Amino acid sequence: MARAFRATTRGYKADLESHERRLLSQLCADVITMLEQRTQEVSGDRLSREETRSDAEPPEAIEGTTNRRFADTAQEPGDDPFVHFRRELAGLGAGLGEETEADGVVPPSDPALARLLPEASSDPEEAAQFRRLAESSLRESKIADLRAARLALESDPVTLTEEQAPVFGRALNDVRLTLAARLGIEDEADAEQVHQRAGRGRAATTDDFMAELYAFSTWLQETLFSAMLEVIPDAEGDVADQD
Amino acid sequence: MTTAGSTLTQEETDLHLGTVAAKPYQVVVWNDPVNLMSYVAWVFRSYFGHSKAKAKKLMLQVHHEGRAVVATGPREKAERDVTAMHGYGLQATIEEAE
Repeated sequence: MARAFRATTRGYKADLESHERRLLSQLCADVITMLEQRTQEVSGDRLSREETRSDAEPPEAIEGTTNRRFADTAQEPGDDPFVHFRRELAGLGAGLGEETEADGVVPPSDPALARLLPEASSDPEEAAQFRRLAESSLRESKIADLRAARLALESDPVTLTEEQAPVFGRALNDVRLTLAARLGIEDEADAEQVHQRAGRGRAATTDDFMAELYAFSTWLQETLFSAMLEVIPDAEGDVADQD
Repeated sequence: MTTAGSTLTQEETDLHLGTVAAKPYQVVVWNDPVNLMSYVAWVFRSYFGHSKAKAKKLMLQVHHEGRAVVATGPREKAERDVTAMHGYGLQATIEEAE
């Protein structure tokens, strides 16, 4: 049973089961894959859709680390429902990049990517210009966060310094945003339904499983940021902010 | 540079300088059902340096009213702020200040 993040004298600490750490790490890897695919698409060097849709390849094959990470996930990889789930998570079944233009300023058609790389203005022209200037560095910083989070998830217990905690939190949030997009969470009622689904116990479908992961990562993030809020000094701020 | 015939040029330059006053822009954060209140409050406190009370007020404004202006300033700073908010996974947009 996992124990939540709490502040200690040496940073934030959470005791997670090894399979929980592995699942979170794999989710981070899948979001990295999704962002890297976007990079390939906008740079005009994307994989053909036939390739990305091949049934034989789990998403992490693109990263070239298939065996190392997958070997301990399932006894029978070919028959694992998780493979299907992770392909779905990474948007590999959703016709990624169908509308991508050569200049790369078109917003992503995939809902999870669109949520991670949102429009910066309600004016489409301004949003496109902003995207052209800022999207690639945003993708890079997200990928760096997610990689750092994977590294942190290798330690037991998971221990984060004050500097590492926000990075881990951002990565965890990107995982949650991706899961939420895949689960179709669009309002508070949808989110509540997902939490109820997660509370029902043993996951029978891909969506059940995603719901459980969403609830778990939400709980983990809530405990981390509640702990982090405790330690921000509130010195003269309240006096200075009179507006 | 200044010669007897340069009066017109001088005036044009002055007029030009008169229009340089920068328009302020504002950073708007929008509500969404995924980002946690604790997370959003933490981002407002740590990134913008808002006090506990102000961060909470803005966070609740986003939650209840659907959006809140979290920063106002020159365009370049507003652009940096929007990108930072996107880095944190918050839905943020830039707009001209009213």
